[in-house]
Amino acid sequence: MTGDRTEKACRHWLYQAAGMNGRTFLRRLQQVGTAYTVYELAKSGVLEEKIHARYGKRAVRLQAAAKERDLAGILEEYERMCLRGISFVTIGEAAYPHRLSEIQDAPYALYYAGKLPVDDSRAIAVIGARNCTEYGRYVAKEFGTVLAQAGVQVISGMARGIDGIGQRAALNAGGYSLGVLGCGVDICYPQENRELYEQLLAKGGVCSEYPPGIEPRAVLFPPRNRIISGLCDGVLVIEAKERSGTLITVDMALEQGREVYAVPGRVTDALSAGCSRLIRQGAQLVTSPEELLADLQAEFTGYPGRGSGGGQSASGRAEPRGKVLELLDFQPQSMERLQEAYRMVHGDSIAVSELCYELLQLCAEGYAGQAGGRYYLKKE
Amino acid sequence: MFSTITSGTVCGISSHLVQVEVDLSKGLPCFQMVGLLSSEVREARERVRVALKNSGIILPPVCINVNLSPADLRKEGTMFDLPVAVGILTCLGRLSKESTAGTVLLGELGLNGEVKPVRGVLPVVTRAKESGMRRCILPRDNAMEGAVAGGIEIVGVAGVTETVEYLQGLENGQKGLIEPARIDVMSLWKENDKDRELDFADISGQETVKRAAEVAAAGFHHLLMIGPPGSGKTMLAKRIPSILPPLSLQESLEVSTVYSVSGLLHSAKKALITRRPFLSPHHTITGQALAGSGRVPVPGIVSLCHRGVLFLDELPEFKRETLDILRQPLEDRRIQIARSSGVYTFPADFMLVGAMNPCPCGYYPDMARCRCAPYEVKRYLGRVSGPILDRIDICVEVEPLKFRDILERSAGESSARIRERVLRARSLQAERFDGTNLRFNSDMEAGDVEKYCGLEEQERNYMERMFSVMHLSARGYHRILKVARTIADLGGSGRIREEHLAEAICYRYMGGQSER
Repeated sequence: MTGDRTEKACRHWLYQAAGMNGRTFLRRLQQVGTAYTVYELAKSGVLEEKIHARYGKRAVRLQAAAKERDLAGILEEYERMCLRGISFVTIGEAAYPHRLSEIQDAPYALYYAGKLPVDDSRAIAVIGARNCTEYGRYVAKEFGTVLAQAGVQVISGMARGIDGIGQRAALNAGGYSLGVLGCGVDICYPQENRELYEQLLAKGGVCSEYPPGIEPRAVLFPPRNRIISGLCDGVLVIEAKERSGTLITVDMALEQGREVYAVPGRVTDALSAGCSRLIRQGAQLVTSPEELLADLQAEFTGYPGRGSGGGQSASGRAEPRGKVLELLDFQPQSMERLQEAYRMVHGDSIAVSELCYELLQLCAEGYAGQAGGRYYLKKE
Repeated sequence: MFSTITSGTVCGISSHLVQVEVDLSKGLPCFQMVGLLSSEVREARERVRVALKNSGIILPPVCINVNLSPADLRKEGTMFDLPVAVGILTCLGRLSKESTAGTVLLGELGLNGEVKPVRGVLPVVTRAKESGMRRCILPRDNAMEGAVAGGIEIVGVAGVTETVEYLQGLENGQKGLIEPARIDVMSLWKENDKDRELDFADISGQETVKRAAEVAAAGFHHLLMIGPPGSGKTMLAKRIPSILPPLSLQESLEVSTVYSVSGLLHSAKKALITRRPFLSPHHTITGQALAGSGRVPVPGIVSLCHRGVLFLDELPEFKRETLDILRQPLEDRRIQIARSSGVYTFPADFMLVGAMNPCPCGYYPDMARCRCAPYEVKRYLGRVSGPILDRIDICVEVEPLKFRDILERSAGESSARIRERVLRARSLQAERFDGTNLRFNSDMEAGDVEKYCGLEEQERNYMERMFSVMHLSARGYHRILKVARTIADLGGSGRIREEHLAEAICYRYMGGQSER
């Protein structure tokens, strides 16, 4: 009688009209019948009699909403959305990610553009601070690259900092990555990740439980974190402050029975405090992507070119350039600090002009970089 | 009866001699003053009448007409009270015309007959000297200020009676009733040494900033300091005048003229400004206060720190319109203010020292405390208007002081020693730019940079590499060469070498262009 498409269009309508913040109501409606049946019942004004009195008011509202829309309009809206490249999948369908369907609070529906992660490959959420350090940046890039090369799907929130860096690295390494958004999938937030968003659309995917057109709001983000953890086998935390949104995702992951991995940082960094606490509480400590892969038992395909870039020794370089390089760190440092450190480490002092010269040489050779003015840091 | 007395007025910063013409004639008793007068000049009538009465001279009931010539020049200030009073007395026959011949009189009268200080004495006396006048009679409080001009007899008086006695004494050949004021200008500089100036030796650590300040002082480059609150930016800025070359007499006269016109010279009980001014206006300052304001403008902050240092703390907090006023002074080293009464020009040749926080909260790059998102940091650094930043050649980060720095108090290098190096670099510049209208390396335009900052093969290759690696712009390139020239001068090197270029590159402003 009713085609598959009509049913999906009705589900899309139903989700928008009733589902956004009434998951139990939706579940009750599912017991009544298909979305098309619910629509028909609502349209004819008999839905209210069919369901429990507790949802009476909502049913009345849904009936009012149904009366305003005819089936053709609902279908047209759905078609338009599909034409824009946005797909819609509800729980119970085959396309709905299996991992996500297992969690307690699984969303009724997902909107997505691009592809959704596949069930028979491993998936890891790479999450962390937005305001990350150069160290975090480096670690996220490293893990993103290696995980992707090993065929692990990298899932994250497309946020500034760790999230975006990990995802970008995964895509650049030819892997798959999914961005779970806290707004409609047609909106790119944050704006500065525009490039990543486009790349995800082309090579990976973005998904959201919110219908297209929903603007990002602070309250929408914590619920989406359960989807990030729900879609994965494990959550990898790189840099988090003591109180941080990242830790919400970790809590969700623990509730959902996901493994939590944490990369340690320096104890003096505020951005390491979150990870340190997680480790103390029993999170798995990982120091390299290989460790993580071994734990995941994911197939390790090997990757070219590793071991030559990172951790190169400074000793082969001419003095005092090597001496200056030794002082550099992933944390940006001012010339003043470097000059002082030089005095303390090497015992003799270095003139400002000489220090400038050596630093610039290091920058030119790609061993160092500049951040926010005259702060220098090590680069890999 | 008719008499003419010579006086003067200031118009902006230039001064003019004014003839005070007084006529007493029969008729309905009155007291009229004409000659394009502002209200404080017109009010002289009341002050003069009462001051004369209280000095024991009752004006007869006659018609008094006073004209200040040239009549088309706007007259400002209270310095005409004394010449008007003396003019009336001459008309009354109490004084002879000869006694005031070749004499310039200035002074405000109090109702009790005393002579009070006025502003603008220095430029008027200088003008009088140039016009070949013999003598100036000034309020006693201004006498030292006038004496600085030299080459003209300065007589300080405290009251109308004293002035009359002095002039009568001249007629009778009694010379020296009042000893002419004299001043040994050089001794003023020696006095300077007595009270200790702020010194860079007070600051331990902060070597990179001190070095940047030294380079800035040597080439008269404008300087920007970026650092968190409490890192000592203000402390450092206040000490910059101590490493600039001492004021020369010529410069001192220029500065003192501005202060004289503003009435700030006698109130500071000074004959001359002998130290480089340091002014630090608050960021709520209005454009008018900065540029100079008033229907007839008085010098603003930019002129008061002429030949000195203008320190703008919290640079991004200044209103954009206010900062944009600095564009003309930074370009032309003077400021022009147009009013209905004419265009006034004040000198404004200062070294701009700016200070700002690295981000809105002030703690970047200390991630434990900084709560700003990267784009906020970027936006904050981009808040200062481009044209102003274009003029700032040197930019330096200031680190917060560590406890150890405070504790150690190992005396840094003294300002005097830094100043010696600055002076050497300045003399090299003076040689280089001899016969041109350039004075310092910072004055060079693009064309001059080509001429004076030529690079040898090796250095050119170095710059070429750095240009692409460090993402330099064409404008930035010239700025780097100028600063490198100064650094080379400090090092006594004729050729600009790689290390000079490297240091100059490190001093460029990065703005928001940090790496992602």
